[in-house]
Amino acid sequence: MYCVETHQLNYSFRSGDLVLNNINLQVPKGSIYGFLGPNGAGKTTTLRLLLGLLKNQQGDIRIFDKQLQKNRIAVLRNIGSLIESPSLYGHLTAIENLRLLQKIYQCPVKRINEVLQIVGLSATGIKKASSFSLGMKQRLSIAIALLHEPDLLILDEPTNGLDPNGIIEIRDLLKKLNTQQGISIIISSHLLSEVEKLVTHVGIISKGSMVFQGTLKNLKDKQKQTSGLILETNNIERTVRVLRSMKLDGSIDAGRIMLPIPSKETIAGINSRLVHEGIDVYEMSVVKKDLETIFMELINQ
Amino acid sequence: MNNAFINTYTGEWLKKRRSFSSWLVIIGGFFIPLVNLLIFIFYPNQLISMHKSGEFWNQVSDASWKSMAFMLLPMGIVLAVSLITQLEYKNNTWKQLHAAPVSFANIYFSKLLVIITMLAQLFVLFNVGIYISAVIPSFFNSQIPFPNYAMDAGFLLMENAKYFLLCLPIVAIQYMISLQFKNFLIPIGAGLALAVGGLMAFSWEYAYTIPYTYTGLHYLQEKSKIVPAQNILVWSAAYFALFSLFGFWLYIRKKEKG
Repeated sequence: MYCVETHQLNYSFRSGDLVLNNINLQVPKGSIYGFLGPNGAGKTTTLRLLLGLLKNQQGDIRIFDKQLQKNRIAVLRNIGSLIESPSLYGHLTAIENLRLLQKIYQCPVKRINEVLQIVGLSATGIKKASSFSLGMKQRLSIAIALLHEPDLLILDEPTNGLDPNGIIEIRDLLKKLNTQQGISIIISSHLLSEVEKLVTHVGIISKGSMVFQGTLKNLKDKQKQTSGLILETNNIERTVRVLRSMKLDGSIDAGRIMLPIPSKETIAGINSRLVHEGIDVYEMSVVKKDLETIFMELINQ
Repeated sequence: MNNAFINTYTGEWLKKRRSFSSWLVIIGGFFIPLVNLLIFIFYPNQLISMHKSGEFWNQVSDASWKSMAFMLLPMGIVLAVSLITQLEYKNNTWKQLHAAPVSFANIYFSKLLVIITMLAQLFVLFNVGIYISAVIPSFFNSQIPFPNYAMDAGFLLMENAKYFLLCLPIVAIQYMISLQFKNFLIPIGAGLALAVGGLMAFSWEYAYTIPYTYTGLHYLQEKSKIVPAQNILVWSAAYFALFSLFGFWLYIRKKEKG
């Protein structure tokens, strides 16, 4: 079951430029969904549409099986969000920021201390939010997002501007929220490496269109498919025949043969058969594309 | 009033804590009484003649309302309303507020009610200020008696209520403009231009059509005891309803809400 599902979502700005083109987002319930894409790809626009911050122009948005436009308040009751930079009242303390939202969300007062403890900001006292470091502001924003115990968190680049320690802290916190409280999380980022260790599912958007959507395993499988063993010999045709006799199939490109990466034993076997057949082996190398390269290829295709 | 509205209102009320707009209410409430207090201390004859007039409280009140009605009230409202709405733009919090499970009507009208409550606060402080400005000089100057005269509370309350109602269209117009623009200078500039325009239009026969003239017009009408051809209280109530609803329509039609 999907907690967020969009159908043929389109959006264009006043200038007429199409920002989103038929976005079909499918976020499984209980997942951590990494929404990836370069800057300007349409991530924030999509997330703002999910929160009703932009007027939907075309397409359908369903959250927890309810249509957003017709059930805005009921849907938002289950969502905690952080869109781009932190939204905090700088002249108020952390507790005051939470208290006013506690009133608006109509949730128990005890949640204020609970969320402050979760994000590690219990000791900020009378310090105003404007004097917080960026990391503290991000953490307070996450506390606000968690205040009303939502079932879904929508976080737009929550680790923006954080140091490596801060990134790890936020990542651990989100993992804990997902595994211990079952909160589904959509987290956007322009860096795959930043969310790779966190997400279970990945959606990649480029120039307003989805170029990949699936589990992280699906993406890793794609990585395997595009990696291979390169073979260069003095006789390509005979080499192909030898490989076929070993039930291996490869493609020929620029005088070289490329095969899906076989096991180490098979690689050694290929080498010894070719030498045994009197074929000179000039090159035998494994080309592995990392996830980042796959990601870059997807967004640049 | 439903529970959600009361909670939203309480939340909105908490936001203005320590903000410049809440300081402005205190400063605005006490500014003119404080100036008058200094005048009464350094030029006691003015206050002494009020003591002799037989209508002390009305005259003391009139001395403060004169400056308040023409200048400070319209301009103060322009500034305070713009500052309140600017809180959301400045802190980048519209998106947080609009992603909360609250209806747009609750957000719009609770914010408006907070502004109106602050206006009421200003009136209370202004009246307290008037009282203090009349009492304190008697402690400094033995020639000035302590004003232990009976107050025409009904009349003073009614006057306050009228001025309050006459301020409401300015609140609604300024609120409507301020919600539309992120740049603080636009609502401030537009508000001040309208307030100055109102000052210039006092002698115009159709001045009653301009809400920014109402507090000043009312002062002049009370002073001259002339029964005006047009009831600006009715105009004021109508303008307030009209601009509040029009402002709400503009607000919910905004394509980008944070």
